[in-house]
Amino acid sequence: MSATTLPDAPVATASAPHVTPASAMPDVLPQVAPRGRVLTFIRRHPTIFAGGLLLSLVVFVAVAAPLLGTADPTALAPAKRTREPSALYWFGTDMLGRDIYSRVLYGARVSLIVGFAVALLASVIGMVIGLVSGFVRWADSVIMRVMDGLMSIPPILLAIALMALTRGSVGNVVTAITIAEIPRVSRLVRGVVLSLREQPYVEAAVASGTRVPMIIWRHIVPNTLAPITVQATYICASAMITEAILSFIGAGTPPIIPSWGNIMAEGRALWQVKPYIVFFPAVFLSLTVLAVNLLGDGLRDALDPRMAKRL
Amino acid sequence: MLGYLARRMLATIPVMAIVALFVFSLLYIAPGDPAAIIAGDQATPADVERIRAGLGLDRPFLIRFGEWVWHVLNGDLGVSIFTNLPVTRMIQQRLEPTMSLMVLTLILSIAIAVPMGVLAAWNQGTWIDRVIMVLAVFGFSVPVFVVGYILAYVFALELDWFPVQGYTPLARGFGPWLNNLVLPSVALGGVYIALIARITRATMLEVLGQDYVRTAKAKGVGSRTILFLHALKNAAVPIVTVIGIGVALLIGGAVVTESVFAIPGLGRLVVDAILRRDYPVIQGVVLLFSFVYVLVNLGVDLLYTVFDPRIRY
Amino acid sequence: MKRRELLATGTAAAVGSLAMPRLSAAQGARVLRFVPQANLSSLDAIAGTQYVVRNASLLVWDTLFGVDSNLVPKLQMAEAYEASEDYKTWTIRLRPGLKFHDNEPVLSRDVIASLNRWMVRDTMGQRIKASLDAMEALDDRTVRIRLNKPFPKMLFALGKSNAPVAEIMPERIAKTDPFQLIKEFVGSGPMVFKRDEWVPGSAAVFEKFAGYDPRPEVADWLSGGKRVMFDRIEWLILPDDATKAAALQNGEIDWWENPVPDLVPLLKRNRNVNVDIADPLGNIGSFRINHLHPPFNDPRVRRAVMMALSQEDYMRAVVGDDALWKPLPSYFTPGTPSYSEAGGELLTGPRRYDEAKKLLAEAGYKGEPIVLCVATDVQITKAQGDVTADLLQKIGMKVDYQALDWGTVGARRAKKEPPSQGGWHIFHTWHAGADCINPAPYTAFDAGGDKAWFGWPKSDAVQAGIAAWYDAPDAAAEKAAVADLNKTAMEFVTYIPTGFFLGYQAWRKNVSGVIKAPFPVFWGVQKT
Repeated sequence: MSATTLPDAPVATASAPHVTPASAMPDVLPQVAPRGRVLTFIRRHPTIFAGGLLLSLVVFVAVAAPLLGTADPTALAPAKRTREPSALYWFGTDMLGRDIYSRVLYGARVSLIVGFAVALLASVIGMVIGLVSGFVRWADSVIMRVMDGLMSIPPILLAIALMALTRGSVGNVVTAITIAEIPRVSRLVRGVVLSLREQPYVEAAVASGTRVPMIIWRHIVPNTLAPITVQATYICASAMITEAILSFIGAGTPPIIPSWGNIMAEGRALWQVKPYIVFFPAVFLSLTVLAVNLLGDGLRDALDPRMAKRL
Repeated sequence: MLGYLARRMLATIPVMAIVALFVFSLLYIAPGDPAAIIAGDQATPADVERIRAGLGLDRPFLIRFGEWVWHVLNGDLGVSIFTNLPVTRMIQQRLEPTMSLMVLTLILSIAIAVPMGVLAAWNQGTWIDRVIMVLAVFGFSVPVFVVGYILAYVFALELDWFPVQGYTPLARGFGPWLNNLVLPSVALGGVYIALIARITRATMLEVLGQDYVRTAKAKGVGSRTILFLHALKNAAVPIVTVIGIGVALLIGGAVVTESVFAIPGLGRLVVDAILRRDYPVIQGVVLLFSFVYVLVNLGVDLLYTVFDPRIRY
Repeated sequence: MKRRELLATGTAAAVGSLAMPRLSAAQGARVLRFVPQANLSSLDAIAGTQYVVRNASLLVWDTLFGVDSNLVPKLQMAEAYEASEDYKTWTIRLRPGLKFHDNEPVLSRDVIASLNRWMVRDTMGQRIKASLDAMEALDDRTVRIRLNKPFPKMLFALGKSNAPVAEIMPERIAKTDPFQLIKEFVGSGPMVFKRDEWVPGSAAVFEKFAGYDPRPEVADWLSGGKRVMFDRIEWLILPDDATKAAALQNGEIDWWENPVPDLVPLLKRNRNVNVDIADPLGNIGSFRINHLHPPFNDPRVRRAVMMALSQEDYMRAVVGDDALWKPLPSYFTPGTPSYSEAGGELLTGPRRYDEAKKLLAEAGYKGEPIVLCVATDVQITKAQGDVTADLLQKIGMKVDYQALDWGTVGARRAKKEPPSQGGWHIFHTWHAGADCINPAPYTAFDAGGDKAWFGWPKSDAVQAGIAAWYDAPDAAAEKAAVADLNKTAMEFVTYIPTGFFLGYQAWRKNVSGVIKAPFPVFWGVQKT
């Protein structure tokens, strides 16, 4: 199930043969491909291509921000506050006279860092917890009860409460959102582990006295990579939105750091009179999240059509 | 069945206990001080210290936690530090708006999303399918407050069809109640519609792809409608699951939506309470949210048996 | 007909008799819908000093005396008073027939209990308490206060609008520990607080008190006849400024206490909305410094910041609109009788960044991080914090910007530990101009070290100046004392004023009688 399934794209059906994710990996990460192969890739995975392209663009903008005609995104000029977009200030200026174009471009860094860091951390930690839970029987029930408990608290509330605990910084935002996302990953991994444990080849490995870490490394980890990669893209997208919401409520990154959420939070009172303050970061945020979601959809289709059912 | 229900109910107890402990200790170590807020900006440091002691906030963690748990078990969530009102009463006041918002959003989302998903599945691969699916990804990607402001601007300020803010209790009539809730529900529903539309389309495709349906289709048995109703019934299990998962999403979104549209609901209550460190209120509401979440998911599991007779507990 | 109205009428017809009788009243001219500056979470203006709490309490409770718009205390609950020539004995007689909302009469013992509770918390009250020999009931309506030192400012103390306000409560409520919030809201003021309709964070409702007997004089701030023309006053707490603006434009609310200046042009364009200055006494922005720890324990460092600080930057960031602010080379409220700019030269003229850097080096500042605590959930403090971060960097200081919420800043600023161990160097706030007219209600001005406000400035010279003001027998002597004080405090840099700014208020055109005051004045307001 993808956003833009072409007529000839494989359709996920119950009768479709089980594709082991590992075998699908080469499709997603092609070797340096000649032109024809690139075109084939685009045709077969249009969503990965569209999402990837859009995301690369945002990454480029974030990295190259200093070269794209920006000014210091934190430089105040209260005398030039709330200017409309113009040749001088492409996206206008905010309530403290800072250049919104520069802030939006630099803001891409914050959103990307938060999105990627949360995706990575939540995946790694969630994976470890899921593996422990799946293999250490006595710990399983305790860990899963804790995860159930964490999961039953709405993620945004959990993040707000965690932010109240610490002071606003990008690192703390990442930590707060990560903690809220871990349960989902660990449940996913645990599910995979439990199903794989019953597989004959794993049981054979256990019977032949292979040590557990070896089994995990050889048989379990490779099989969890595909679902986790897909899950990670969704976590990335949701982390970016959560960061924006936290900043919007005033519990996010410190206001002197230009993040899209912060720019919108500052402009929110003025959306009737100065809509551009909210508009530009909103468009950038939406497009970036869209890119990540498209990538996630595409990866899921490519890596494991069966997963399409589970969402 | 009853045994299963009992076991599931029992299993929620440790979960709730963990939530309680977690939330309590989290707020205990949080650096904010409600006494400083009560005292106001003019108060001297010594005054603040006296107020702290008066609130009993200077006593040890375990004693306070023990007391709180004992009271909760007795159905008493304590008294707000700021308003001196019982937390249960403050929750009661806020329950109706939030429940109204969530129920209406749920109904609205299902009413819009399921036909969308079905339509997309039936027209799989055509432009209709693609437009619907692109819309769905957009639903995921645009933050709820942005949608809220756009809706408020267009439909409340420019067109003047709906009020900008507020909530009218159902007791004052269905019309006014609905009138206040339409915009917030649509704003909040965006993500939810996207989620349900996607899962509906996916499961419909799966069911439609199954041999017996294909055969039926090929033979021209039954009208399209009957075929679809049949397929939809089989697709109900995953759809219901997603609705269960989405309740947490909905609660999170309600926090923001209630702020944008000034709805006096639980989401705003808890955010205000967190910012002011009104510990009893935060603990009470979070406990309630977790309880609702656990309960809804229990309900979802039970619904499985209704939609899919093969599942037995 | 607009669709919204259509829907409303349609329902009214449909539900008909089901609709509560209050509904029709709620839509009439007898109900005022008011949006206050902040969430009302309590009504105790003695235990807490938040402005919003004080404003609400003024509806519910009454005072013995009340200041008018010239800050002169007038008789209010008091029918008459008598002061001995040496200002040591004060006798106050209550008006006959005063009643609390539970219809019990207001008696001398209620007054004594209320003043006893108030005295503990109020700075002027504490001075009274320190020299109090006795406070006794001569009969049910007469109270005598006997002091062992002269206290000429008694009437102002009992009638001032600055929190804590000397409000008269029933004895049983007034016996509450002054550091704990009262649990019952019964007063003798013009409005009854509807506790059963109170939804904290959303709505607070006041209903007209039938037993209230307004004084015959014309109302003026806290003095005169407080005639409320509404059956109900509803305080609606809307969480979002954009929503408030939209609601006022649509007529869903009648009066907004503090519209964001940037939205005012929009409101002014609306034919149905009036906009005006809210409080002529305005506000003073504050750059609060911790005097206990290096580098700010050195007056040279405090002066270095002061000579580089541009009030223009702060004020533009805080209010934007140039009509709303002015530079303030003073600690006191401009336009008030004692105002003085003596010694404020360091804050005027071109900013001296190089000189500031030199002074910092001289004082031995070596780049240790400056802990700046900013309440990012309050626009005025956040805007100031952002400007300060920029300013400190300009003069070569390293900034550790701590983004916190107001609740956390409130807790953090009370810590005396070194900034590197959880303490702080700088935080921002603002003071209502009404609190800065003279040293009496001006907690933030005190420089008594440990006993002073957060930052714990310690200057014997400033303290001596304050004592001199209290002893000043007349207005001219008071003015001289204030000029002296301003000079001393500027030299010492108790804190740095970041400018003087006004706020707007906005209301629907069908509401009349809204006046300028340091608090919303509901008596005399009408709606058609």
